[in-house]
Amino acid sequence: MSVRRILVPTTVFASVAAIWWLAGRAGWTNAYLLPAPSAVVDALSELTASGILLKHTLVSLQRVLLGFALSVALALPLAVLMSTSRPCRAVLDPLLEFLRQVPPLALIPLLILWLGIGEAQKLGIIVLASFFPVFLGFRGGISGVDPKLIEVGRIAGLARREILWRIVLPSALPELVVGLRISLGYSWRALVGAELIASSAGLGYMIIDAENLARTDIVLAGILVIGAIGLLSDLLLRIAISRVFPWLSADLEAARA
Amino acid sequence: MLELSDVSRHYQVAGRTLSAVDGVTEHFPAGSITTIVGRSGCGKTTLLRLLAGLTEPSSGEVRRDPSDQVGVVFQEARLMPWLDVADNVAFPLIGRLDRGEVAARVEEALMLVGLAETRRALPVQLSGGMAQRVAIARALAQQPDILLLDEPFSALDAFTRRKLQRTLVDIWQARRRTVVLVTHDVEEAVLLGERVIEMETGRVVGRVAIDLPFPREATDPAVVDHRRNILARLVGGTDPLP
Repeated sequence: MSVRRILVPTTVFASVAAIWWLAGRAGWTNAYLLPAPSAVVDALSELTASGILLKHTLVSLQRVLLGFALSVALALPLAVLMSTSRPCRAVLDPLLEFLRQVPPLALIPLLILWLGIGEAQKLGIIVLASFFPVFLGFRGGISGVDPKLIEVGRIAGLARREILWRIVLPSALPELVVGLRISLGYSWRALVGAELIASSAGLGYMIIDAENLARTDIVLAGILVIGAIGLLSDLLLRIAISRVFPWLSADLEAARA
Repeated sequence: MLELSDVSRHYQVAGRTLSAVDGVTEHFPAGSITTIVGRSGCGKTTLLRLLAGLTEPSSGEVRRDPSDQVGVVFQEARLMPWLDVADNVAFPLIGRLDRGEVAARVEEALMLVGLAETRRALPVQLSGGMAQRVAIARALAQQPDILLLDEPFSALDAFTRRKLQRTLVDIWQARRRTVVLVTHDVEEAVLLGERVIEMETGRVVGRVAIDLPFPREATDPAVVDHRRNILARLVGGTDPLP
């Protein structure tokens, strides 16, 4: 089973690379628009050797982790607050619903004006992009708690607060986990978007800089690195979650998207 | 003290009023074991929920000593999926008793339902019958003054059911707490009840004192007689037994 789990994705990626290589070899694609896999590998090793790749990757990683952490730190208490307090819900729901409809990229100009083109603006975009999956996932999980489990708490004589902590929040975890995974993915996408527009470091910057220099091989290398880090961070998140909450493993499998 | 005084519970369904429980007055003496029997939908589960305080009566009064602790075993196991077997059993005790006492009660309750070996399993790894036994252990570990059971054994195989019926009687005989058990199985009602309450369409239609010593055997002629008589009344005079 575990061999198959590694073998199948590896075969898929190898096949895509093979088709890509063949397409270049047969002259179906323009080597400038789509450099051969070997050229991209060369670019990757060149970037690695010079330390440029590591520098940009670390900058991007730091931004994503910080922005993601900020989102989670904001979303969790707010989700609990809005699930438990009717007045808060009445006041904040329309505002958040409005904000949710606005794509974060549309707010970039405003964020640049308000926060400049430094780190704060990038964090702002990541938070805007990654806040809602966590927030809505956790809220959905809280409101979807099985009332039959709450009755078990009532029979045990638990106070309202204890029911929240010992029944409602744990049972919201599966949906929170799905939210966290989506949110982490959104963080990456938003970051690269932000770095493409205004930045002097980071993987997004590396890509746009390479485009300006007509280095399609570096553009592709950057895309590969972003995808690989995205896959890896999702994998690490899943491993961490299944360590901490072993009972969630089944839900996690269902949430693989 | 556990009493129902002219208790009714109505539900509005599509503009019509349905009475799940209709004017029931009943006294459950302290330390007694009572079974409530009737067809599905006769209102016996609602009656149990009223006794547990989970459903408010539409009219009438449910009287229970506020200091009495209530334990409930539901039709479904209702385990917390994130807690293992031992932690599920400990769930109502956490924060109420010190750690040593909790562990001792959990061990004892798991032994009683025969699940001491599976204490670290997660609910998702349990069969339906095992999960139900955990739910029974959870209620027993509370050592409640009033134990309410809603078809607790219907998900179990015949052997386990028989064994747990015995365990329930043993515990009741040892502790003499008030027990009310709802079932659609007339044989079970006769085997377990000092008194059997017959219900139909939300009303109590009969009360039978079963004056037989415990433990009772399903093959005992007196048990068979009671069973036949109750069945005959509940199915409207036709005797389905040979």
